[in-house]
Amino acid sequence: LAKRTFSRQTTNLMQLVYGKSSLPSSIGIEEHDSSADEESDGDDFFKPKGDGIKKHRVDVGNWNVEDSSKFTNYSNVKDWNDKKLIEDLRDRFVTGDWSEAAK
Amino acid sequence: MGKSSYKRLSGGQNLRLRLVLATLSSTPVLIEDIHPNDMFPGLRFHEVSFLRLLEKICDDCAVEINETGTKLKFKPGIVMGGRNLVHDCGLTRSIGYFLEPLIVLGLFAKKPLSIKLKGITNDSKDPSVDTFRSTTFPMLKRFGVPSEGLELKIENRGSAPQGGGEVHLAIPVVQSLTAVKWTDEGMVKRIRGVTFSTRVSSQFENTMVYAARGIFNSFLPDVHIFTDHRAGVHAGNSPGYGISLVAETTSGCCLSADTAISYAREEETAGLEDEKKELMPPEDVGVQIASVLLGEIEQGGVVDSTHQGLLFLLCALCPQDVSKVRVGKLSPYGIETLRHIKDFLGVKFVITADPTTGTVMLKCVGCGLKNLSRKQC
Repeated sequence: LAKRTFSRQTTNLMQLVYGKSSLPSSIGIEEHDSSADEESDGDDFFKPKGDGIKKHRVDVGNWNVEDSSKFTNYSNVKDWNDKKLIEDLRDRFVTGDWSEAAK
Repeated sequence: MGKSSYKRLSGGQNLRLRLVLATLSSTPVLIEDIHPNDMFPGLRFHEVSFLRLLEKICDDCAVEINETGTKLKFKPGIVMGGRNLVHDCGLTRSIGYFLEPLIVLGLFAKKPLSIKLKGITNDSKDPSVDTFRSTTFPMLKRFGVPSEGLELKIENRGSAPQGGGEVHLAIPVVQSLTAVKWTDEGMVKRIRGVTFSTRVSSQFENTMVYAARGIFNSFLPDVHIFTDHRAGVHAGNSPGYGISLVAETTSGCCLSADTAISYAREEETAGLEDEKKELMPPEDVGVQIASVLLGEIEQGGVVDSTHQGLLFLLCALCPQDVSKVRVGKLSPYGIETLRHIKDFLGVKFVITADPTTGTVMLKCVGCGLKNLSRKQC
């Protein structure tokens, strides 16, 4: 099961980035997905279109976005005085537990 | 090759990326509908400035813009490079906007590029010149770019809106890049940084450093943030202050975060800015950027979100060898870059999510771009 969710995530990312062009590779996945989900073969037919629309929408959204590579996630700034957060991130630093980080 | 077919694109987004890729892949492009619904339609000032810059460093490069500036015909030439070039970047975008594409093009030029850029050195929209020095250059070295001749010297700093900064950029040429297998992000071993202030008290910098250090102190002791106070002619024309931080890891990755605070420029394109009237106090700036950097560290990956686009581009330009990189969450610009790389260079990445660490692995075979212009000489 873990392997299957993993592979699904892969196609999702590829699909997200490249839109429907990654469809050939996704069809193979969908086939063995269909047993798990209640996706009938008819849904395959609709998928690409929905994908296309979604991609189009994304493009429209991007129409006037500033051409800048800088991406600073201000919305997600956390309060790093929180003890729990500090402990969670501790192992990404050399001061943390090395064996823990090596995993 | 008198009649060349133009690759048709529409929309004004990612203009820099498109032009860089067009130049590297020698694909003429025709871009339509560039900001057609704006109050002032057509190419923005900095975009025109970038086109002028391209003309400056390229030979036989033809740019045609229609009357309203909503249509652009671009036939790329050969990147020549050259010494003692000067370019005024204007005041609508900072020098960082021009540096990114310039670095990539400079690598594939005929002669080493050495150029003086004038304008705004630090602003909040583009990576600051300090970040280029601390993060982007180490990244280039990973791809086999020699460190001799790779230089960015900050002569004068300039903040928005009046600018007045001046930097000197030197980029060596390469025959081709080397593919990387860069998946080990390592652990953060030290944090470096630099603050700057122009036409304000140097006390602003100390406050920023103090605030940022306060955040990092619970993680590691090796934190050094330098200050770079400029006065007189070296301080440009406007008051401003800012900070650029970089976290170095045991495996040599650099993750950066930076910002700059200054008074808002008067935008000629209305409705795009939501600048605050009040400037953010330096203490908050320090805390905020330190938090952003910790966010980047938490996210994982060998580069920060800002450098994803450049990383993908360099991977795609490698010889026909497999490159493998790990990044954190894909940034919007990174995704756009991936799409454009596929359009222009035909390089498609295999993207796999790594659920245990929450990172994303990308694999690609480079397009095998060689520096042809250099061979001929």
